[in-house]
Amino acid sequence: MQPIRDKDFDQLFKDAFAEAEVTPSRDLWSSIESEIIPKKKRIIPIYWLSAAAVLLIATIGILLYQQQNTTDEHKQLASNIIEKTKSEVHEPVAKDTAKVVENVVPVLPVRSKAVSAIAKTKVKQDVKPALEQQQIITAPEMQKQETTVAKVEEPKKDIKTKIEEAILQPKEETVIVASPTAAKTDEPINDNEQSNKGIRNVGDVVNLIVNKMDKRKDKLIQFRTDDDDSSLSSINIGPFKIGKRNKK
Amino acid sequence: MEGCKAGDRKMQELLYKQTAAKMLAVCMRYARDRMEAEDVLQMGYIKIFQKIKEYRGDGSFEGWIRRVMVNTAIESYRKNLRSLNVVEIDEAYEQPSTGFDFGTLGMQDLMKVIQKLADGYRMVFNMYVIEGYSHKEIGETLGISEGASKSQLSRARAILKEEIIKMEGFGYATYTG
Repeated sequence: MQPIRDKDFDQLFKDAFAEAEVTPSRDLWSSIESEIIPKKKRIIPIYWLSAAAVLLIATIGILLYQQQNTTDEHKQLASNIIEKTKSEVHEPVAKDTAKVVENVVPVLPVRSKAVSAIAKTKVKQDVKPALEQQQIITAPEMQKQETTVAKVEEPKKDIKTKIEEAILQPKEETVIVASPTAAKTDEPINDNEQSNKGIRNVGDVVNLIVNKMDKRKDKLIQFRTDDDDSSLSSINIGPFKIGKRNKK
Repeated sequence: MEGCKAGDRKMQELLYKQTAAKMLAVCMRYARDRMEAEDVLQMGYIKIFQKIKEYRGDGSFEGWIRRVMVNTAIESYRKNLRSLNVVEIDEAYEQPSTGFDFGTLGMQDLMKVIQKLADGYRMVFNMYVIEGYSHKEIGETLGISEGASKSQLSRARAILKEEIIKMEGFGYATYTG
């Protein structure tokens, strides 16, 4: 017999294994099956994951808030309320003043510059302080907040008349425009009512983050921050919705 | 196959039943023993069911399954290589001067001699001779040089030839039963 060439030697193996079959001895299929099944069930824990994330955010929020609460001592309360009332009347006042300004300009051409300047700095400032600031300063307790908020609604209705009043009293206006608080009011108006109130507590922080990530109307998690105390107002995790955004 | 893509359990079982014996034969070549081969077979099928959506229909389906299986076997070898850190003995094997009668050798005998090979030799021999990889591909896959692949192949061949002669010498009839 001749020594075999590599090529033939390889071919021998190739042929032998081309159609080779070895029947599995163990019941392999059942173990394979049991390995495949858990893959399908892994979809469910995503809900658990999001629920856990919400819980985590909430706990961190509460902890941070408690810390902040001890240092803050409610000193910001009065200014907070002012800011808030301002922002609530923001848009309507701006529009109305714009209209009024148009009407007024031809009547009082000399004062047009002053009036337009006031319009830019949002006249509601002038409308509000006279009526509300006193109340706010004398009654800074949280309980009174709702009453102040309620009163904010009222002025809206007869805003025109008040603006007219304001325009008729130009001396007061100019003083307020010149005051340093006027600059503050020039903040840009955002779609989200939360963001133009500024960040006062942890609820605001969470809302801000959630707003950035979640563009739905009902957010993943939403804190009510109208009062200085942030409280959970709504949760929206897929099928689970708790609470609705309390819109005006 | 469509059923398998959709994750139909019955169809997956059918696919397994139709192909498992062939695939176990593939795994056996790459493993030291049956136990190891069946472990690789299991891993391979899990991979196949996970990746079945990636199969676009180019080439035969069985060929695709076989490729996944071979890759799984190679992966398993590389993992074992790290954990076992096998030191291979580089002995010089001389070409056997005598020839032998191939006609009497069955697949199971050849399987036995392949499984006896050192892991590295077995990998290179399988990949080059049966699967048709080039030395370059083998080198890249196993992390060795092209030259090392070539020399391991020739050593593997020499060992196999010796083993086959031994087998025949010690009474070939007993192996076939």
